[in-house]
Amino acid sequence: MICAGIDAGSRTIKVVVWDGDTGTVVAKGLIDQGVEQARLAQGLFEGLLRGHGLARSDIRRIVATGYGRNAVDVADQTVTEITCHARGVRHAVPAAVTVIDIGGQDSKLIRLDSNGRVRDFAMNDRCAAGTGRFLEVVAARLDTTLEGLGALAARSFAPAAISSMCVVFAETEIIGQLAASTPREDIVAGVQAAIAGRVTGMVGRNVDGPVVFTGGVALVSGMKEALELALGQPVIPAPDPQMTGALGAALVAAEYVSGTYD
Amino acid sequence: MTEAPRQLTLEQWDLRYLQLEQAGLAHPSYVGPLSRHLAEGDLRLTKLRYDDSPAALRLWNFLLTEEDRLHEARRRGKRIVGTMKDLGTIPVMAYSLGDLVAFYPDGAWWTPCVMENSTGLLDIADSMGIDESFCPVRAMLGAFVTCEHFPIPDLLTCSVGATCDDFSAIAQRLEGLGHRILWWEVPHRRHPEEGEDAVRLPGGFLAPKGLVAFVESELRRVGRALEDLAGRSLDEARLRAGIARTNRIRQCLADLRDLAYTVDPCPMPALEMLIAEMLAIHFCSDQDECLAVLEDLLAEVRERVIAGIGVSGPGAVRVFWVNPVADLRVMNLLEQCGARVCGTDYLFAHALDLIPEDRPAMEALAMQALADPMVGPAFDRASRIRQDIARFRSEAVVVCRIPGASHCAWEGRIIQEVLHQDMDIPIVEIEVPPVSDSVAATLRTRLEALVETVRQRRPR
Repeated sequence: MICAGIDAGSRTIKVVVWDGDTGTVVAKGLIDQGVEQARLAQGLFEGLLRGHGLARSDIRRIVATGYGRNAVDVADQTVTEITCHARGVRHAVPAAVTVIDIGGQDSKLIRLDSNGRVRDFAMNDRCAAGTGRFLEVVAARLDTTLEGLGALAARSFAPAAISSMCVVFAETEIIGQLAASTPREDIVAGVQAAIAGRVTGMVGRNVDGPVVFTGGVALVSGMKEALELALGQPVIPAPDPQMTGALGAALVAAEYVSGTYD
Repeated sequence: MTEAPRQLTLEQWDLRYLQLEQAGLAHPSYVGPLSRHLAEGDLRLTKLRYDDSPAALRLWNFLLTEEDRLHEARRRGKRIVGTMKDLGTIPVMAYSLGDLVAFYPDGAWWTPCVMENSTGLLDIADSMGIDESFCPVRAMLGAFVTCEHFPIPDLLTCSVGATCDDFSAIAQRLEGLGHRILWWEVPHRRHPEEGEDAVRLPGGFLAPKGLVAFVESELRRVGRALEDLAGRSLDEARLRAGIARTNRIRQCLADLRDLAYTVDPCPMPALEMLIAEMLAIHFCSDQDECLAVLEDLLAEVRERVIAGIGVSGPGAVRVFWVNPVADLRVMNLLEQCGARVCGTDYLFAHALDLIPEDRPAMEALAMQALADPMVGPAFDRASRIRQDIARFRSEAVVVCRIPGASHCAWEGRIIQEVLHQDMDIPIVEIEVPPVSDSVAATLRTRLEALVETVRQRRPR
């Protein structure tokens, strides 16, 4: 039984094709998000199927998730990214109790119960200061890339204090730091600490472990360490963290087909 | 009536109205097709979904014609009292005097929503230094400036003290514009100290007897001003009769809530229930008609319960809702996401409790004023919410923040703390501006995720 999950996020679209019988990922892919979201999602999905010798009729069910989930015409069903990230993380790290997902335009903290179901969640999607968008703005301002941020942060011994509650003002603050000759690495480390602070601010420091970190920002080196410092406990990056939502969506689709998803 | 109720668009309601008219629907003179309010600028009405019962039509028309009623009262020489930051106390006194009409100027907080910001009320407040860092109730300032939404009252009262900081600042700004305000103080409701005489308030909170006596003295001061305005005495008999009339409304609402929040399928949508509950604090400027409107709604709900029909789908998630929404559309959204409201705390839970009729009337009113969940510790309010969640068997909680409202910044965390002491219940916080279109997607995600979470937690 083959199912698919499509995660239409704010920055990228991810697709995972899942074989429920063998419990393996058959195919996966990712493209940048754009104006024509439905066409992009469908193109990625159909391209993956073709590349793996599959037809649409081979796919028993498709679940779309992510902020653009309702625009994914090929999906049979939509499920929120809260549920899908929880599923995806639980599959990849069965011991997970808390999930931190930092994506392009929001961040979430999801608590799981002993069965891996969502117990509670908190979201920040009103303020870009706790999201990947903040890192993009900083990378552009510091004339580096997202990948380059981690290398810079690793060289910092005195992270700068970034106190603004909003990305626009934080960018102004960074300009001020640059004018004051604050080293770039200290600015980056300060920004990463600020993002981690926003995330922990949603729920406080009393977070039960194991904590698993997912979403595109989990790929940015230095963020895991910033979160560990803010939470006061180890943080495990999810394997292939950008794909966790799409994987979870595919798992939900498979559960639905097998009658175990309500 | 055997057909399941539906939720209609404005257009669909107009068609249904014609059919009902042709079928000989009898209704009060203020009832008409809802779309006529569009001409007055109530643009948001086109985005809402309404219960299809004649009782709901009457409820909406009653709400949307309050301005007309107030202007008519002025023309007929009635004296008008604006009871600000008063959640259910001074209107009881005013209506006990007969010729006074009380209303709730703070109710203008929904005008930016209903008129989709087209009247500029918030802009006027901005220009007066009461900007978006304050609760949307600041729209009231604009309404006083434009004089387009209600007549300027003959007497303005405002509670102050342990009530909302925002509102105090807004009302002070209003007074600075030359509107004289009779302030009355509500002290912070604290727990009695050991050995201190205590009183059990409606709703269950305990308070020192001295605090009740203080509030009573404040109410007597307001009472004298109302007597001067009405030209008659607010004696014990009149106040008792007024309290009894108020209690009939509260009892009707209690019956309505008991059915709407417990019976499956849900017999009345969340939006109409929100409007109905709001009537408890101000009676929409006509206490007798308020009772008639609610009795009509209750009769409709009873019929639906007997027929086993309702508006929610099977398995709708039972949500306890904290704080009223600045944008009415969100109540529709909750149901579209697969949930229904089972229990509420719209900031005035005390105004839903019966006022004691076995006490001297003014003391009884003081007791209910002091029972206001907003004038005591947030932990007390959270404890009452916890009791109601158990009573209504709610499966999840939505704490709805009002942008700028000072209490909203911290109460959500306290409510979560108290509920999680002994309840394993998912809680989500949302913030709803007066026109929520720009955050509709994120609100939907939160509510859908809450519904998914509850469904996954249910025993299979």
